Amino acid sequence: MTGSPPAPHHLDAVPDALLAGRAADGDTAAFETLARRHGPVMRAAARRLTGSLADADDVVQEALMQAWRQIDTLREPGAVRGWLLRITGSRSIDHLRRRRFHTDVDSVEETLDAGMAGRPASPDPESSAVSGSRIEALKRALAALPEEQRRCWVLKEFNDQSYEDIAQTLNISTASVRGRLARARVTLAREMEEWR
Amino acid sequence: MSTPNDTLDCGHTLAELSTYLDTGEFADPGHLNQCPECQAGLAALGSISALGTDLRDADIAAAGSGTDDWMQSILDNLRLELRPGRSIPVRGGHADDILSETEGAISAVIRSVADALPGTAAGKCRLHGDVGTPGAPVTVSVDLAVVYGHPLEQRAAELRSQLAETLSQQTELNITSIDVTITDILAPPPSADRTRTTPEEKP
Repeated sequence: MTGSPPAPHHLDAVPDALLAGRAADGDTAAFETLARRHGPVMRAAARRLTGSLADADDVVQEALMQAWRQIDTLREPGAVRGWLLRITGSRSIDHLRRRRFHTDVDSVEETLDAGMAGRPASPDPESSAVSGSRIEALKRALAALPEEQRRCWVLKEFNDQSYEDIAQTLNISTASVRGRLARARVTLAREMEEWR
Repeated sequence: MSTPNDTLDCGHTLAELSTYLDTGEFADPGHLNQCPECQAGLAALGSISALGTDLRDADIAAAGSGTDDWMQSILDNLRLELRPGRSIPVRGGHADDILSETEGAISAVIRSVADALPGTAAGKCRLHGDVGTPGAPVTVSVDLAVVYGHPLEQRAAELRSQLAETLSQQTELNITSIDVTITDILAPPPSADRTRTTPEEKP
């Protein structure tokens, strides 16, 4: 009984806080389980922030590297997901600052949604066609937003970050975050004709 | 479009409504329930946030699973460096030998003992005391998660005795106590996914 090695996915059922404690002790398997668990949402946020499929994977890799180095400083081990998303947000913004001099962001934005098109349809084609077309319209409206507003919006709606966190990530005041987020939402609501 | 600018006829701004959505804070909370303009504004902004959640969910689905190749490739690139922790001296067979083992290696031993018990997984573990001085008293603390249905006290007792035995074989630490804290009760794995019998079942 005791001699048998743990099953390959032994750690899959283990909650974040416990895995974070093990990872802080140096357990790479526990850290990799956390990475696999939260990798998709990190990748989704990085894709929306950077607008690029390839850059997003670079960002996720940098974010995980930073997370591994800093996981022993994580004060609330249960809040791993929010912490990983904060790191992903910061690394994405850094990536954009480095890239700004090399590439036109608007042309890359098309790469993102072109690359993600052609996904299998959901099992309920009728309702998914309706909500799908609204999501497509939101993507277009988002792409047309000023860059600073779009960043605020993604950090809020995708990463669920606080105004203070967003302010720190973007190096602006919380009042600016509040203003840009409101302008982004109002513009999106107008584009989407939410007002009646 | 009934909102040509960002200030409503009631004097409140769309920015105030946007902040209210996130924080629940509003200068004049009683006003919100009575003002049709603010109600319409909140409904519109709320609907955009809800659509934003739909987009996020669609993006997460499109990002693929953490068990896919893209994540494996990222993990392969990471090459996580080890955390050795403190260095713990070990007497060699020869007086001139200077040997040591690392705290990280002992943590790994503790985890492997805890993980090998039926229905348990280790959390963080700590060696308290001056591990750098041979013979100094050291206490061990281990967090433990136990799958629902397994006897908690029995698992903790088994872990204590097996750790005492293993650590006395594999280290020279003077371990004075082993504290096991059960931090989590885990949901049992869905039986349909398991071809093996659960550890508690008798043949």
